[in-house]
Amino acid sequence: MGNAIEIRNLTKSFGKKQALNGLTMSVPEGSIYGFIGENGSGKSTTEKLICGLIQPSGGEIKLWGKDYRDPEMRSKIGVLIEAPGCFPNFTVWNNMKLQAANLGLKNEDEEIRRALHLVRMDGAASNKFKNCSLGMKQRIGIAFALLGGPKLLVLDEPINGLDADGMRIMREILTDLSRRGTTILISSHILGELEKIATHYGIIRGGKMLREMTAEQLNADCPTYVALKTDEIEKTRDILQRAFGRADMDEQTGEIRVHGAPAEAIARYLYARHGIAVSEIRTAKISLEEYYINLMQEGRK
Amino acid sequence: MNETMKKGGFKDRLKTMLNVDFRRMFWAPTVYIMLAVSLALPVLILVMTSFVGGMSATDPQTGLPTTVEAFTNVWQAIGSAGGNAMRMDLTSMCNINLLYFLVAIFVCLFVGEDFRSGYVKNLFAVRAKKLDYVLSKTIVLFVAAIGMFIFYFVGAMIGGGIAGLSFDVAAVGASVGGIVACMVSKIFFALVFVSIALTLSSVGKQRLWLSILGSLAAGMLLFTMIPMMTPLNAGAFNVILCVAGGSLFAAGLGAVSNVILNKTSLV
Repeated sequence: MGNAIEIRNLTKSFGKKQALNGLTMSVPEGSIYGFIGENGSGKSTTEKLICGLIQPSGGEIKLWGKDYRDPEMRSKIGVLIEAPGCFPNFTVWNNMKLQAANLGLKNEDEEIRRALHLVRMDGAASNKFKNCSLGMKQRIGIAFALLGGPKLLVLDEPINGLDADGMRIMREILTDLSRRGTTILISSHILGELEKIATHYGIIRGGKMLREMTAEQLNADCPTYVALKTDEIEKTRDILQRAFGRADMDEQTGEIRVHGAPAEAIARYLYARHGIAVSEIRTAKISLEEYYINLMQEGRK
Repeated sequence: MNETMKKGGFKDRLKTMLNVDFRRMFWAPTVYIMLAVSLALPVLILVMTSFVGGMSATDPQTGLPTTVEAFTNVWQAIGSAGGNAMRMDLTSMCNINLLYFLVAIFVCLFVGEDFRSGYVKNLFAVRAKKLDYVLSKTIVLFVAAIGMFIFYFVGAMIGGGIAGLSFDVAAVGASVGGIVACMVSKIFFALVFVSIALTLSSVGKQRLWLSILGSLAAGMLLFTMIPMMTPLNAGAFNVILCVAGGSLFAAGLGAVSNVILNKTSLV
């Protein structure tokens, strides 16, 4: 399978501020591409550029191998950038009718009902857009993006403002779309949610791609560890460090993290050799969030 | 998936864009407010000035006599015969030419709302050609302008009837054909204002105040030309001049708007 989005040496400056600095990225067809970065790193700028809402200063963007300005390619995109672009005094239905007309859909009503049903917003059609809650607006924004069955979805922070149930629904929708072959480029700061659905990741910093990887590669880069608690934390850490090579202290949780040994062996070793009883022990995995924070901290150093 | 999409040629794209713009215009109250104002404005002007019109007074500072020249004939609300440059009197200032400013404001409100609501994101993410947008907006807003001029005309007839003004065409040096040509000329001249306001709205985008102020300022420059271009006893030449001028402005400024939308950030 090829790439739905292919970006090479993309640059964008706003006056003197360089927002993108030679960004290169590839979003494989059918993937859910988690686009991660700090505020101001260039995520939204990249997405706006892909959608043709702003003009690049240099570089190239290709959609399915063709120039991103190609009208045929553009008609295959669904977009939710920041907030959904709706007229506040129109009903949700009328707003969607406009977008259906914009897309030139043949079965407008049917398509709108399908999109609203997908985001579990069937009952909201007659609401005025301005009267919808933030979570509802986000879901309506997704419904907008889904109109016409796009082959590529570009979503900028779509899960912001959603409650736990809303996030679950969104997760299900995106996973289902991906299963049907839709490519999804999604940026979010809620990395825990992203980790549950993304098949590929791109981490951007200062307008440059810091790392691109698949979920499998991330898995390999995020090894499991054993987290444990004892009454003698400092002493235990020193012992484990000598015995297993790497034992770190997690300041926030007060746990010791040991890498490269099974939980049972560690507990047995501590008790049998040093008489230290373990009060809590579990096997865990470095999360995307931790991986990302570590990567950012390394970068700053 | 995309089998629900219609074909993407220029004609289809323009058709879908027109479909969007016409729906938007008729679903929102602004166009009805503008039409209502266009209808009410001449009624108010003609009825109210008939009360104060023709009164003479002495300026207390200069001691000179001042006169408010009243409307005596209903056709004065449409224009003046002879095509003289605009005079600084009531009949020249408070006639149908005021509508050009209303048209410009409506254009700014209509286009500005696309940017303020963020609707342009939906439009342009799936629509690469900005020319469709410019063309469609020009056509739709011109249609609205035609409606406003027709409503003003009807309002002037109603207002003239209420105020008891003369409907004698010959008394103002015009003919029925001349008045028809005058109205057609005025309507096509509105294309100039639509194009200017559309271009300035493309520049101003979310900054509605900038588009409105710019359009009004540009309108002021053209305002004095209108009586000469569209006299009450207009002929074919005036119509041709206004059709050509309106079309040229629409084409030229449309191209400028297209470049602006292509080269600048839309959000």
